Parts: sequence; structure tokens; C-alpha cells
Amino acid sequence: MKEYVLLMVSAALVNNVILARFLGLCSFMGVTTRIDTAVGMGMATTFVITVSSMADWAVQTFLLEPYALGYLRTVTFILVIAAAVQFTEMTVKKVSPALFQMLGIYLPLITTNCAVLGVALLLVEGRMSFISSTLFAFASAIGYSLVMVIFAGLRERLALVDVPRLFAGPPIGFIVASLLALAFMGFSGMSTS
Amino acid sequence: MNMPADNTTDFSAPSMNEGIAHVVSVEGEIAWLVPEQTGSCGSCAASGSCGAKGIGTLASRLEYRRFKINNEANLFVGERVVIGIPDNALIKAAITAYAIPLATLLLAGALAQWRFGNDLATMAAMVIGLLVGLGFSRIGAGRLLMQGDIAPRFLRRARPGETCNQS
Repeated sequence: MKEYVLLMVSAALVNNVILARFLGLCSFMGVTTRIDTAVGMGMATTFVITVSSMADWAVQTFLLEPYALGYLRTVTFILVIAAAVQFTEMTVKKVSPALFQMLGIYLPLITTNCAVLGVALLLVEGRMSFISSTLFAFASAIGYSLVMVIFAGLRERLALVDVPRLFAGPPIGFIVASLLALAFMGFSGMSTS
Repeated sequence: MNMPADNTTDFSAPSMNEGIAHVVSVEGEIAWLVPEQTGSCGSCAASGSCGAKGIGTLASRLEYRRFKINNEANLFVGERVVIGIPDNALIKAAITAYAIPLATLLLAGALAQWRFGNDLATMAAMVIGLLVGLGFSRIGAGRLLMQGDIAPRFLRRARPGETCNQS
């Protein structure tokens, strides 16, 4: 149990997808102008990362490894991620067309989100069991969502601040993001004892 | 047709997320609209001139993202209107669509891992958990729809040149 908790804390905070691995920066800057859109994107990404990592683990374990097709890993994972996004889109549309109208716009953005592919490749490198890899992917996505929401809150406040003209918009956003990354570096000093 | 200028702010009114939509057809009491917003980048008004209308593009997706509202304001085809949804509607919708299936998926996986300790059994349990969660999502979405929490509402006609960033 302890190893699962440590794995999840490590994936979500210490090795945060955005602030430590610098993945998913396009959505980090593009979808964080409002907290509610950040939550919508974060939850959609969490769902897709978790589901696609389950499928990626199965493809890696039952197809790529036994037949020595490791050189096809990146291409295969991209295909699996695109299929997972399409599955999510079709499912949400089927479950509730009204929800699809509200949330469907985020799904195409996820297909090209490098964080999804990055997490899948990381869990394969880690040679984890199925449950560990799923928890790792879920925690990584939670870390992604957490940072998205924090940054959206900061940007909502920044929008009300009198920023020098040269720094207004994305420049001050990047400066705040770097300060946030420094703050998250503090988690790397955590001890398990 | 002219709307009176509104110089006051009603702080008791529920806060709304606003967006611009085009009226694409009117069928009796129902008006069908297509949202202008093409993504989260904020370039909502650019969708009309981006020219990307092929299969699978965002512009083509908008065509099947039509939604309807009651045409109490006598809207005409081609009009641009400001529509709104309650501020927390997106969060409620995201929780219903994604958090519930994820929770059941992880719960089923954790139970199967604890009971059987086998990757294949855990995988099967997670798939079953996902399907059960999607069923719960469907019920939750129906409830939200019945309460009108996620239905877009007509707010006013858009001013000339108004975009979703300036509404």
C-alpha cells in the first residue's frame, strides 16, 4: 500500500508532468485563462491519460514485447491515444449529447497533448505492473490538473493586476509559471522516513 | 427589436459564462444555434475565416455541435446572439462525464487487485468498473439536464463586432 501512495505522490507532485517534466505546456498556457475551463480540460485529460495508459500497457505487454516490436512503440502509442480520445468522444456523445456539447471541444486538444504520450512512454520505461502503471498514469494526470487549476487561478488574478505593458499577457504568465515550478521543486525534498 | 441599454449590474443574478452563437435555423418555437468558439485559444471569431472546413477539423465539428433554445426572442437565421450557461455548469458536467467513470474504474481495479492480485483480473475489473461508471454518468447527466443546469440560455443579441472575449 505504501509503495502505491509513494508512487502517486511522486508522479503527481515531485515529478509533476508540467512543472518538472515540461510536458503539456501548450494546453498549460492555452486553457488556463479561466478556472472552469482548466477544470474541464484537466478532467478530460485525466480520463484520457488513465484509459490510454491502460491500453498502452496491454499493447506493450501482449504485443510489442513478445514480438520484439519495440521500435514501433511511439507510433503504436500515438495510434492508441488517438483511439482512446475517439472512444471518449463517442462515449460522451452517446452517454449525454448535452455534456458532449459542453465538453467535446476539449477532446481534440488532448490528441496532440504530449503529456499523454509522455506518461505512456514513462510507464513503459518503468516496467511497472498493470495496477502500478494505471495509478502512475492517474496520479500524473491529477498532478497535471492540479497545476492547471492553480495556474488558472493565478491568471484570473493577473488579469486584474496592472502589469507593465511589455509583460502583459503570456510573458507575465511564463514568469509566474517559472515561480510555480520553483515552488514545486520543494516537493523533491520530501522524505519518506 | 432594439434592446434597452442596460447600465446596471444585478449582483443577485446567477453568474454566467457567456459565448457567441449563430442562429442557423428556426423551426417554430425552436431556434438552432452553432457556437462561434472553436477552441480554448480564444480565437473564437476567427472560425468563420479560417477556411478549415475539412473532415475532422474543428470547423467541421462545430457543424454537429448544433444546439437548440426556445425562440422566445423571435430570432432570425443569421443573427449572432450571446448565450450563457451557469458558471459552475462546466465543472458539474466534467465531474459527471469523467470523474464518476474514473472513480468506479479505479475502485473496481483496486478491489480486484486486493482480491486476486493478478494483472488480467484487475484489467477485466477496471473495464467493468468503467462501464458501470458510464452508466452512472448517464443517470447523472439526465438529472443535470432535467434541472436545466447545463442547458444554454439566450441572454441578448450580440453587438456588431462583439466576440466571446469581449462579451
